Amino acid sequence: MADNLPSEFDVVVIGTGLPESIIAAACARSGQSVLHVDSKNYYGGNWASFSFSGLLSWIKENQQKTDVSDEWDDWRKLILENEEAISLNKKEKTIQHIEDFCFGDQDSAEGVEEAGALPKLPVFGAAGAEGFAQESEEARAAVESTVPESTEPEKATGTEPASAREGSDAEITSEDTSSHSAALGESAGELGQTEAAVPEASAQEPKKITYSQIVREGRRFNIDLVSKLLFSRGLLIDLLIKSNVSRYAEFKNVTQILAFREGKVEQVPCSRADVFNSRQLAMVEKRMLMKFLTFCLDYEQHPEEYQDYENSTFAEFLRTQKLTPSLQHFILHSIAMVSETDCSTLEGLQATKKFLQCLGRYGNTPFLFPLYGQGEIPQCFCRLCAVFGGIYCLRHPVQCLVVDKESGRCKAIVDHFGQRISAKYFIVEDSYLSESVCTNVHYRQISRAVLITDQSVLNTGSEQQVSILTVPPVDLGKPAVCVIELCSSTMTCMKGTYLVHLTCPSTKTAREDLEPVVQKLFNVNTEKDAENEELEKPRVLWAVYFNMRDSSGIDRNSYDRLPSNVYVCSGPDSALGNDCAVKQAETIFQEMFPTEEFCPPAPNPEDIIYDEDEIAPEESGFSNSPETKPEASTEEMSSGGSAAVEKADNEE
Amino acid sequence: MPVGRKRDPPSPASTPARSRLLRRRQPDRPPPIPRGECQQALPGAAMPFASSGTDDAFDYLFKIILIGDSNVGKTCVVHRFKTGQYNEKQQNTIGVDFTVRSMDIDGKKVKIQVWDTAGQERFRTITQSYYRSAHGAILAYDLTRRSTFESIPHWIHEIEKYGAANLVIMLIGNKSDSLDKRQVLFEDACTLAEKHGLLAVLETSAKEAQNIEEVFTLMAKELIARNTLQLHGDNPPNSIYLDSRPVITSPSVEKNQCLC
Repeated sequence: MADNLPSEFDVVVIGTGLPESIIAAACARSGQSVLHVDSKNYYGGNWASFSFSGLLSWIKENQQKTDVSDEWDDWRKLILENEEAISLNKKEKTIQHIEDFCFGDQDSAEGVEEAGALPKLPVFGAAGAEGFAQESEEARAAVESTVPESTEPEKATGTEPASAREGSDAEITSEDTSSHSAALGESAGELGQTEAAVPEASAQEPKKITYSQIVREGRRFNIDLVSKLLFSRGLLIDLLIKSNVSRYAEFKNVTQILAFREGKVEQVPCSRADVFNSRQLAMVEKRMLMKFLTFCLDYEQHPEEYQDYENSTFAEFLRTQKLTPSLQHFILHSIAMVSETDCSTLEGLQATKKFLQCLGRYGNTPFLFPLYGQGEIPQCFCRLCAVFGGIYCLRHPVQCLVVDKESGRCKAIVDHFGQRISAKYFIVEDSYLSESVCTNVHYRQISRAVLITDQSVLNTGSEQQVSILTVPPVDLGKPAVCVIELCSSTMTCMKGTYLVHLTCPSTKTAREDLEPVVQKLFNVNTEKDAENEELEKPRVLWAVYFNMRDSSGIDRNSYDRLPSNVYVCSGPDSALGNDCAVKQAETIFQEMFPTEEFCPPAPNPEDIIYDEDEIAPEESGFSNSPETKPEASTEEMSSGGSAAVEKADNEE
Repeated sequence: MPVGRKRDPPSPASTPARSRLLRRRQPDRPPPIPRGECQQALPGAAMPFASSGTDDAFDYLFKIILIGDSNVGKTCVVHRFKTGQYNEKQQNTIGVDFTVRSMDIDGKKVKIQVWDTAGQERFRTITQSYYRSAHGAILAYDLTRRSTFESIPHWIHEIEKYGAANLVIMLIGNKSDSLDKRQVLFEDACTLAEKHGLLAVLETSAKEAQNIEEVFTLMAKELIARNTLQLHGDNPPNSIYLDSRPVITSPSVEKNQCLC
């Protein structure tokens, strides 16, 4: 590495997942010196998003079971007599049961490379080599992936004449309309219904997407490892706005809420406009639904309506209301999104109310999705941390934590170069902790599937829909499966394809949990053996299943020998929103710095006055900025507060 | 067709700073076909606002990112551009996300946001979102240090990977005040720039204010030209802005919900 790191910081953060990144940003923002490292060569850990080739190399990496042996033990010399070391994991162990399938013709993809991939360049010095490592790896992966990897040979033998299309590049486009999008500023409601005029491309013969096209257009994909949405009144949105981190990202509204009932995908009317415009609901049903939803919004005011059912499940309560079975289904599975068997009436009412309250803030559904994928969000917080002086190192494994025997507190880390870096506080993501620390910890698992498909699960007027669909379990008591379908205008997949994420808490392996749902919704056969009925379903072009460790909600005390100034962040949980990560970050930050404000708004760059002579103290400068700053255009508002915030450089 | 450009205020101490416009705009030809990026990544946020008569009124807003190895003088370039001053001892600016300056270009008020790397170039950990919605990128190397020039292909690749398809890229060789220590020939820079289809190469000096204004003026002119073409092109103008707006909200205008 070209530069050496300073050997002292206030806070060292290990792992770049969402909670760690928020904490890093909050610490830097409150004036702490922060070192933020990740052993991977990408940001986000299990919260990351990958291009197609990036995902293929991630799969490969996780399929290799070989453990990295500790070839280098010299760091032990750096541990003094009155200290002990807690060594950290070198190898990711949170991903299991990865299986990927290609349903197209792979042979034709031989030799195809991701467009825009650099040919291997001569390496310029050490620093250059590191920079290129990731790229060339990706390029290589793109090529390697053409070797059939599928464990199901019969599915890999697509018969499609892919080669015919291969030469022509630009033909995959379909009319791209971003009419559904919404900047967070819009108060919406009117948004959304305008896309009816979009030219219908499905009238023409649908273009077939081949595997080689996916590989070549691989960089159009931003495939999330964890599939989440932002509740428009959730903690993450509030934090993004409060901290001004929102200026680094762009969002798109989820455009439709879907339900799966009696083998069919249907649209769920949830806003007032939806209910009235719905063609599938009878007039009577519309009234019933409106009445019930209106009640849910202030159910606390009408305890008499639900008191008698407080000990029953929400599903039972719904049966007592004047609602048809389809309405009950919509409310239970798609609006409240709760379990039929173990959700109480009160929990169900709460969940329904939360959903309804989020409606209309930015659009006619309660959810937002970040353009370019969920993986952008941790990076946005990292950017804030860097802007406030945080130092970033990826591909930077840490050997161990150094603990002072006497005080029991952690004093330092030793990194993979053998550099000892001391700090006052340490934030460590769960997966970095070695087994010896986690012996008593019981992890749950999340089952995930990611599909690339050629059509939407529900054909509507517009091709550019972002949909969320809850598929209720076949066996009562099993978890429902959450399906999120992203279109190309979310910047997560190439034109003409859809990216489908399936998620549920695991009961078995991801494939066992999710394949039945995939088969219900999609055509996973090759064209020849497919039934007619199957042909109407979207075709799966490529799929991957995997289980991810869910380390959320673990009590701190279940970790063994954890020094008091070491805080553990969990990986992604299986919930749809991000509240868990934000809560955890805020709690940890408050424990470390009880008197500091958590992520106050960063000053508007336009308000900063450059003053060469006077170096204003950081805090006093910022305190001028109005409390609820983010209103109006971040770009344009000029507030009274201004700050001269230059700090002497410590770089050179 | 390479076209030479004359540097501005001749500095007596050094030989003229050089610059070369590599590709000339041809206004009647449409911009290069985007490589399939979604429309919002096109001039997108360069919103020709019909602004409402305040001081802040502007015709165009461009986001320009500055990239290059550590210590090539990126921050000094921005600082010179913003304040017209030069700081001998380099300062690491804390808490400054981007710098804004308005310029008058052919009668249009153009607001330029220049984003700095926040030190993340040091270990090559620039976040992808940094590249995402930029309209232009200025790649900087230090012409007295060969290694900083040799990193340029790496940065170009990053831009290609994460940036919008039709991002305008310029190359600047900073520290043209120390020509006696030159390690990078201007011709080499031009060859590289031509190979990657960059807009122009300029040798600059933040210290002596050579070519700094030119860099940004040239960039702004190109972006305006492309944006104008875009507006008169086939795309309905409305379709390009929607996504490309930062999250900005005003709780006061929010509706609480649709229902009721």
